[in-house]
Amino acid sequence: MKIIGFYKLLIIGLLCLPGLKSSGQQQDMAFIEGGTYKPFVKGDKEEVPVNAFWMDKKAVTNTDYQRFVEANPQWSKENAKRIFADSNYLYHWPDSGLSQHSGPPDGAPVVNVSWFAAKAYCEWQNKRLPKLHEWEFVARAFPKNDVSADSLQRIISDWYSNRLKHDFLVGSVYQNTYGVWDMHGLVWEWVYDFNSIVMNNDGRNQEEMPEGLFCGSASLNANDATDYAAFVRFAFRTSLKGNYNLRKLGFRCAK
Amino acid sequence: MNSIHNFPKLLLPLLAAVILLLAPACQRDKQKFNTDNLPPIKGEVMAKLTVAPEVPPRIQAKTNTKVIVHLEIVEQVMRLADGVEYNFWTFGGVVPGKFIRVRQGDLVEFHLHNHPDNMFPHNIDLHAVTGPGGGAEATLIAPGKSAQFSFRALNEGLYVYHCATAPVGMHIANGMYGLILVEPLAGMSPVDHEFYVMQSEFYTSGRFGERGLQEFDMQKALDENPDYVVMNGAVGASAGENAMQVKVGETVRLFLGNGGPNLVSSFHAIGEIFDKVYIEGGSMYTENVQTTLIPAGGSAIVEFKCEVPGTLHLVDHSIFRAFNKGAIAQIKVIGEENHDVFSGKEKETVYLPEGSAIQKVGERKDASEEVVSERTLEERLEKGESLYKQNCLACHMDQGKGVIGVFPPLNNSDFLQARDDKGFGIIVNGLQGEIVVNGTSYNNIMPAMHMSDDNIASVMTYIFTELNNGGGLINAADVRQWREKNK
Ligand code: HEC
Ligand SMILES: [Cu+2]
Repeated sequence: MKIIGFYKLLIIGLLCLPGLKSSGQQQDMAFIEGGTYKPFVKGDKEEVPVNAFWMDKKAVTNTDYQRFVEANPQWSKENAKRIFADSNYLYHWPDSGLSQHSGPPDGAPVVNVSWFAAKAYCEWQNKRLPKLHEWEFVARAFPKNDVSADSLQRIISDWYSNRLKHDFLVGSVYQNTYGVWDMHGLVWEWVYDFNSIVMNNDGRNQEEMPEGLFCGSASLNANDATDYAAFVRFAFRTSLKGNYNLRKLGFRCAK
Repeated sequence: MNSIHNFPKLLLPLLAAVILLLAPACQRDKQKFNTDNLPPIKGEVMAKLTVAPEVPPRIQAKTNTKVIVHLEIVEQVMRLADGVEYNFWTFGGVVPGKFIRVRQGDLVEFHLHNHPDNMFPHNIDLHAVTGPGGGAEATLIAPGKSAQFSFRALNEGLYVYHCATAPVGMHIANGMYGLILVEPLAGMSPVDHEFYVMQSEFYTSGRFGERGLQEFDMQKALDENPDYVVMNGAVGASAGENAMQVKVGETVRLFLGNGGPNLVSSFHAIGEIFDKVYIEGGSMYTENVQTTLIPAGGSAIVEFKCEVPGTLHLVDHSIFRAFNKGAIAQIKVIGEENHDVFSGKEKETVYLPEGSAIQKVGERKDASEEVVSERTLEERLEKGESLYKQNCLACHMDQGKGVIGVFPPLNNSDFLQARDDKGFGIIVNGLQGEIVVNGTSYNNIMPAMHMSDDNIASVMTYIFTELNNGGGLINAADVRQWREKNK
């Protein structure tokens, strides 16, 4: 009796985990427990909280994205509106759309997608784009097979120096201690609030360039002025607009 | 950032006043601009940009014009030294970036393009611009984007441009700098040759000469401890076969820049005196200068006449940077000797001060006559290695790799292997004049080295065995025999 009762409780407990285990996508996602962390660009607070969430283990591939386009023709290469995706949208796909015979290999991360397109994709999956703090929080995690700051740094600086050799497929660079792949070394990734550091009220109005990350002032706002890899990421995001499509910029979803 | 740019501007008039009081320097007639009444712009031209050491021709239009500049940012792996590569971030596919030439009063329409295959965002800060961030704020662009802005070239002078995207130090350290000349509308005085030479440093994970694709080393950059200090973007970029060439009697103007990111250059031409130096690339010049300082992010214009034939070595006279880190460019001056100006070596004599305490009675005067018992191969290799480090390494570099165009390699040297004196003659007599080693020609001077037979035997054993010249033990007796024959 007692034993059965215990198991019942356990099963009920598992089922009741706040809706997290239910959508069927979970083996593709990693659970991130959350906590607080010191963001790279100093705000009012030293530390910011990051709530628990799920993160795609791998970046979205061309094949994944192809399914999205088929289900949402308004996002096909020819239909997408220029205010949501400039003329480089899906630049690397044949005009006729992706087929088995042409275009990038299965498993290559999709690139040349705008922020609006990435957001629409995640919503179609009942997910969302990760927030900047969430993305940075996960990106700090060390590689699983060599848990050290040095090995993470190595991957980043090899990537920046064009020394990293891999197949340009998702899941080919490294897996971190959360079980998430390729946070560095494969492609840059969109985050929901990519321009939050400079954003006024409207994310699309970026006429005002940020003061924070140019010249001398850059080092004044940074938590660690020697973390050049983070500077590069933040400057990169600052250079973006929501309808840009870049050859080295992809995304993954969160929920 | 405005405050950073304004600070030196406030100091400048003060500094200039002090200099004027202290040193009677000369100044070109300088046109002052009233920004409410700028000269009219007529027509437009497409700027011709050039790769160092070339300088674009001057714009010929009689009046001020619109100058359209297109500069493309390219990230690409290129040669930093022989066998050493680096992922350079460049203005125009080259380091230093392409040279831009406009005139005071011209309207410059600037188009900056970030190549779509690039990975990083970039922008440009031209020190010739009067305006926020020198254009940086107007030009931050993602890969695959272009930015356009315009400025009036208000002040004449030679200015550095560079990328100012965070982290600024890293963008500059990866090669993002160049020069823009704003010359007087009427042009500068005519000279026979104009060249572009820019010094800068590279901070690599591997030490100087370590082969392979090197990565940027942030710690070395913070420590201001570069492995490479180079002229025109790579070791030997403007030396040896790539040296600049002029003829005896010709006048030369050098547009010099220093990209940094950290070091100040003590710029010097071995074998030449600068007739004129436009200090810091401005309007004031001084005459008869041996070495001029070029600040990081600054420039200088120097002029001189080449009176005698030979090779001029343009160096940073913080001299280890020149001989050990690559900071050498060369100008070959071709033509007839003028012995009234320079005689060449007239005589070499033994210098032996009278009563010198060093020469003791009973001790043999000539090192070559010293009698030693021979040594084993191991002993010679060990001794030879340390002799190599003391006597040869400064020029022939680690592992005898040499410096292309300047110091020939001793590692697997076809030139050395083809000699039947095993190189003894080179050590004893020195070597000068044109030689070809492993396909590259050298025309430089190696001084005679005063070494004993025993030491020559050891160092050559080391060079033949450890530096891949076929191996073999060399005895002091071999050197002695050679000396006998070549008395
Ligand atoms: C001050 C710089 C300097 C030093 C020190 C020096 N060399 Fe040289 N060496 C040169 C130069 C320059 C040349 C080429 C001369 C020419 O162009 O004719 C040269 C040429 C040679 C060559 C013939 C070219 C070749 O690559 O095979 C040999 C052999 C050589 N040196 C050996 C030595 C040895 C051994 C030592 C140390 C005992 C030494 N050098 C020290 C500058 C130097
Ligand atoms: Cu840059």
